[in-house]
Amino acid sequence: MNITASARAFEGKTAFTEACGLGTGPVPLEPYRSPEFFERERAQVFERAWLLVGREEEIPAYGDYFATELLPGGVSAILNRGKDGRIRAFYNTCSHRGSQVLDGPTGNARRIVCPYHNWTYATDGDLISIPDEASFFAVDKKRCGLTQMATETWEGWIFVNLQRQPEVDLRTFLGDFADRLAGVPYVAADKPIVLKADLDANWKVVQDAFIESYHIPAIHKKTIAQTFSSSENRFARLLDARTFGPHRTVSMYGNPTMPLDERNKVEMLAYASGDTGSLIAAGTSSQMAEFLDHPAVNPTRAGCWSMDVNNLFPNTQIDFGPGGFWVHQFWPLTPTTSRYEVRFYVPDALNARQRLQQELYVARVIEVVLEDLANVARTQRGINSSGKDEMQLQDSEVGIRHSVEQLLKWVEAETVTEALA
Amino acid sequence: MSGAARLPQAFAELEPFVDSWGSHTTAGRLAARCERSMDEIRVFYEAMCARAEEAIGYVDRFGLDDLPDDARNLMALVLGLAQAHVAIEIHGQPRAPGTPWPNSIRIARGLPFLG
Repeated sequence: MNITASARAFEGKTAFTEACGLGTGPVPLEPYRSPEFFERERAQVFERAWLLVGREEEIPAYGDYFATELLPGGVSAILNRGKDGRIRAFYNTCSHRGSQVLDGPTGNARRIVCPYHNWTYATDGDLISIPDEASFFAVDKKRCGLTQMATETWEGWIFVNLQRQPEVDLRTFLGDFADRLAGVPYVAADKPIVLKADLDANWKVVQDAFIESYHIPAIHKKTIAQTFSSSENRFARLLDARTFGPHRTVSMYGNPTMPLDERNKVEMLAYASGDTGSLIAAGTSSQMAEFLDHPAVNPTRAGCWSMDVNNLFPNTQIDFGPGGFWVHQFWPLTPTTSRYEVRFYVPDALNARQRLQQELYVARVIEVVLEDLANVARTQRGINSSGKDEMQLQDSEVGIRHSVEQLLKWVEAETVTEALA
Repeated sequence: MSGAARLPQAFAELEPFVDSWGSHTTAGRLAARCERSMDEIRVFYEAMCARAEEAIGYVDRFGLDDLPDDARNLMALVLGLAQAHVAIEIHGQPRAPGTPWPNSIRIARGLPFLG
C-alpha cells in the first residue's frame, strides 16, 4: 500500500473521549501511588487477566523453551514446545524442593533436568526419574509433574493466566479486539531484540507515556518530535482512538518517513541509497506491503501516520508502524517502581548497510527510552508528593482515561465475567 | 593496542579505534560513546565517516555470516558510527540531556550479528 496515495488530510478537532463513552472529569492519582491499590491490582488484575508472554516463533522446535518472570510477585514461568508440537506453560518449580528447574532466558531441553538434584521431567511436565528413588518414601511420580500454568495462543501470541482454572478463555478475554486484529501478518517474529529497564515509577505512569503522543514534541524534541508532529498538528493530536472492552487502540499522527538532513553523514550513509524504512521501525517498506494493507494498520488511512498503539489489557502494547510491529510491556515491581520491556522484531540483515540501519534503529530506541525513563521518574516523584489527588486529561489522552477506568472496574469486580461486562 | 593488524590492510589507519569503538556488542559500542568526550567522539566520527562507504563495500564482498576476523572488526567500527551519530547528529553532546549514565537500560537480547 502506498500510504500517501489516499492522503487523508489531518482534520484537527477530535472527540474521542465522548465517542468512547468515557467521562470528561478529572481522573484519580491514588492508583498510581497507593500500596493498598497495588495489592488489589495484583490480585484482581494481574492474577486474573490473560498476560502476553511471547510469540510461537520463538520456540519453533521440540524442546525449545523460554523462561519469563511474571510480575508482580516474581512468578517464574517456563514456556516450551512438547514432542507433540503443543506449547505448554509451567511454574518454574521442581516438585522435589522447589528449585527453579530452568534458568533461561531461552534454550532447548527435551529433558528438563533440575540442576539441584537432577530430578528429570519430559517436555509435557511428566516426572521421568528421581535419582536414588529407593531412598524416598513411595513418591507418587504421576502426581509430581511440573505444575502447569494455563496457556493459550492467539494469532501467534502466547498468553498465560495465573488462575489455576481461568474463569474465561483467551478468546472471550480478547473479545472484539481479536476480530479487529485477526490476520495481521507478523513478519520476522522469531528473533526479538529485547531491551529492559527498571524504572522509578508505577507501571501505569510508564504505560501512560506510551499511549499518548501529546508529550512527544516536548520530551523528545530532538529524537522523534519530527516523526509525530508538524505545523498542521503541533501538539501531535491523535488520528483515531477506540475501545474494545478492557482493550484500546489509538492511531498517532506523524510523518511516515524519516526526514534526512544532508549534513548528517551517518544518516546519509545509512539511508541515502533509497529505502529509508522509518525512524521508529527497522523493517523495509517492500517487506511491509501486506502488513500495511491490513485494515487495523493505519486504520484511518491517513497520509500523515506514524504508528498505532494496540493496548491489550492490562500491560501490553502491540504497536504498528510503517516498518513493522513491536511490543512494549509494563510490569509492576512495587507501588512506585516497574520493569519496562520492549521487544522489536527485525529480519536478518542481508548486507552491511542494512545492518547499520538496524544499529541506528536500536541506538535511537535506547535514546527515546532514556528520555522517557527520566521523565517517568520525575512524574512519579510529583505524584508521590500528594500535592495533587487528580489529573486533568485531554482528548488525546483518552487511552489513559480508559486504562484507569478499566483497572478500577477490574479491582472492584468479583468475577472476570463481571469485569468484562 | 597489540602489534598485530586487526583490520584489513587498506583500513590500517583506523587501527587506533578498534579498542575504543570496535566492540562486538551493541552494549559495548553504546558504552564507548557514553564514556567519551565530544572531542573524542568527533575524532572517530570524522575518521570513520571518511572510510565508511569503502568499508561497507569491503564487508559486502563476503556474506555477513561468513566474515573473516579483520572484516568483522571493520564492520564493528562501521556499527560504532551509529553511536557516534547519536552524539554528533542528534544530541550535540555525548548523552541525551538530563539522562543518567550508567542507567538501568539493558539489552537483554541483541541483534543476531555483532549485536
